[in-house]
Amino acid sequence: MSYLPKTPSHRHRSRSEAKTPLTPSLASGVNALSLAIPRSNSPTKGKADVSFNPFLSNRPSSPVRRAQSTSRPASPIKRATTGSLQVSDSLQRQASSGLIRKGGVESRIDVITRDYVPPKAQKRSRSQPNRDTRDRFITARDMTEEVTATLDMMSLNPESASPGHTARLAAATGVPINRRVLAYHEPPPPSASDPLLAQARELVRPLYARPGALATSTSTTTSRGRKIPTAPERVLDAPGMLDDFYLNIVAWGSQNMLAVGLGDCTYLWRADSGEVVPLGEMPEGTYASAVDFSVDGQYLGVGSGSGAVELWDVETQTKLRTMSGHSTQVGCLSWNQHILTSGCGDGSIWHHDVRIARHKVGELLGHVGEVCGLQWRMDGELLASGGNDNVVNIWDGRVGDVAPGARASARWTKRNHTAAVKAIAWCPWQPSLLASGGGTSDATVHIWNSTTGARLHSVTTPSQVTSLQWSPHKKEFLSTHGYPTNAVMVHAYPSMERVVEIRDAHDSRVLYSAISPNGDVVCTGAGDENLKFWRVWEAPKAKKGKEKEGSRMGTGSTSSSILSIR
Amino acid sequence: MAPTKQAPTRQAITLKGSTNLVTEFFKFAANTILFQRGVYPADDFHMVKKYGQTVLVTQDLALENYLDRILKQVNKWLLTGSVTQIVLAIISKDSRTTLERWVFDINLVEQPTDTSDLAPAKPEAEIQAEIRNILKQIVSTVTFLPVIDEPTVFNILTYTTESANVPADEWVDTDPLAIEASKSQQVKLRSFSTDVHRIEAMVAYRYEG
Repeated sequence: MSYLPKTPSHRHRSRSEAKTPLTPSLASGVNALSLAIPRSNSPTKGKADVSFNPFLSNRPSSPVRRAQSTSRPASPIKRATTGSLQVSDSLQRQASSGLIRKGGVESRIDVITRDYVPPKAQKRSRSQPNRDTRDRFITARDMTEEVTATLDMMSLNPESASPGHTARLAAATGVPINRRVLAYHEPPPPSASDPLLAQARELVRPLYARPGALATSTSTTTSRGRKIPTAPERVLDAPGMLDDFYLNIVAWGSQNMLAVGLGDCTYLWRADSGEVVPLGEMPEGTYASAVDFSVDGQYLGVGSGSGAVELWDVETQTKLRTMSGHSTQVGCLSWNQHILTSGCGDGSIWHHDVRIARHKVGELLGHVGEVCGLQWRMDGELLASGGNDNVVNIWDGRVGDVAPGARASARWTKRNHTAAVKAIAWCPWQPSLLASGGGTSDATVHIWNSTTGARLHSVTTPSQVTSLQWSPHKKEFLSTHGYPTNAVMVHAYPSMERVVEIRDAHDSRVLYSAISPNGDVVCTGAGDENLKFWRVWEAPKAKKGKEKEGSRMGTGSTSSSILSIR
Repeated sequence: MAPTKQAPTRQAITLKGSTNLVTEFFKFAANTILFQRGVYPADDFHMVKKYGQTVLVTQDLALENYLDRILKQVNKWLLTGSVTQIVLAIISKDSRTTLERWVFDINLVEQPTDTSDLAPAKPEAEIQAEIRNILKQIVSTVTFLPVIDEPTVFNILTYTTESANVPADEWVDTDPLAIEASKSQQVKLRSFSTDVHRIEAMVAYRYEG
């Protein structure tokens, strides 16, 4: 007894618990004995002792065993076993089983004499198995937990309490009774989409984003003090319009008629009256691949997919002649007085004199890819052609110089484009200017001086350039574009500034365009089978007097300009 | 003869109709929550016109089927009136702590026993407007709910009565996935009611501020 450990009572209780499984009746008796004394001395320990109350009949045995195992010290402190050792029955059993717990009984005696209350005791005594004893004398309890636990148990056997009381209790505590919380037996599925894929998509999103936020074809946009409607003035249905980059199937003649090749049929639309005239059908198994009006607007040249070039009289809607000879599709046509020039899929360009029986009066071989853009300059001196071989050629227009069978060479050959050149346009007010636009991988418009062969300006656009139209009255030109913007753009010259961009002008790439003879309306066609008319420029005011305000499609102004052209 | 002729013209919502309406609401509410709270990637969702507005609904087949299976059972319980609450809990995937609990209380509206003086049936348009308001409110909660920047999973809990007929192999008793009262904040959302059911929505979220 030279020293006393700090937690004797602690230990002795665990010892006594250890005996309970062996001889319950005796152990409970010992418990009663051992506990009676500390309780009398220290009332605060009462809570801890509840579990050992022998008078609680419904005390489950297993929780006690658990408590005993947890409360047993890991390494009992040896102490001197002085004094007389009471050999109890339980101790004898321990001895017989080969296990003697040191300090079992005498430590109990120590406790009785010294009576120390360890602060840890309370915490330990609040362990789980003590709950159900529901001691009424305990004040320092976590009320909400206890009540919830109590109610939970009550709801499990509701007959133990009066229903009214339970209901009141439930209402007061907000704890539901007679309620089951259920969950589906399997967890929700994980997302099927691959996180790596999602991350990759996130990374490439900027690449698909269309540059800038610009007006789509919904309203008007004001630019440089003028308003440009960004909605089409008129939309015509064009069923069966082919979605083919290498065709040129929209033409607007000086008689103010629009020719459209829709599959195997060619139609005329009179802009004055809005009347639609079916011009004629192509031979079986082929389609109209190119249309172009003669300068006076009286005749229409129609190229076919089989290589024939047809000549139609617009007035009588009759076919005058068929000029065959090309081996494959004639993708573009251009008139110069009585010469109809055709560009073919094999890269050859032929001059057809429509007046004579042997119509082929010249052949220009300068492209190795399909000829997809072709235009005569107004004065007929120069011919520009663009091909699928990314080349722009400018040819001398003097047909007589091209001897039959002789290989003509281009005056200028430009290889700056990096994609097929379909868009070719001569400037109407500056004869030496030629604009050409490249395809998807190029998407650039170059402006050339055909006299010196110099590249004057270049502008890069967001997407494929499919056609170009110069304004006859303004220092501007219009370009049409393919995926992804499907836009119609107007650029200023020579600053090359973007005057307006109409995004999503069509639902698919804008492929074809034609400008009205008086130069105010541009018609565009696309694979979405629509023809849209955009009033991007204003016709110059006639000198005679003021225009009619409600003139649609330039009925009045166009006819006056036709007169001036003639 | 008069009452039998009047019955079809009254356009009253029956228990079955109301149940279907409520079930459908749960479907769209759950989808909206899963989208808005980012439980599933936005890629999985597509827009659907519903209740006069666009609602984002999952197109992940597995998730769609999962929700369908749950709602099918909820529908059955609604018909018997044995479900009192549905909770969509959003749980952190790693720590398994409950971050949000979207609680939908289901109350049965007292049916007047006397059929002669029935209150006029609530027009469907009005119910839809109420549902629309709840869904809009769910969308708008994004503004004040804490940002979740960890992967999450969800779980749907149903609070049923003791007497409910539970398919034992599919539904199991579970923990309520509650958020500790000291760390949770609650926001009551709008409610909607049919002639038979009244749904009250509430969101509780973990907030340790």
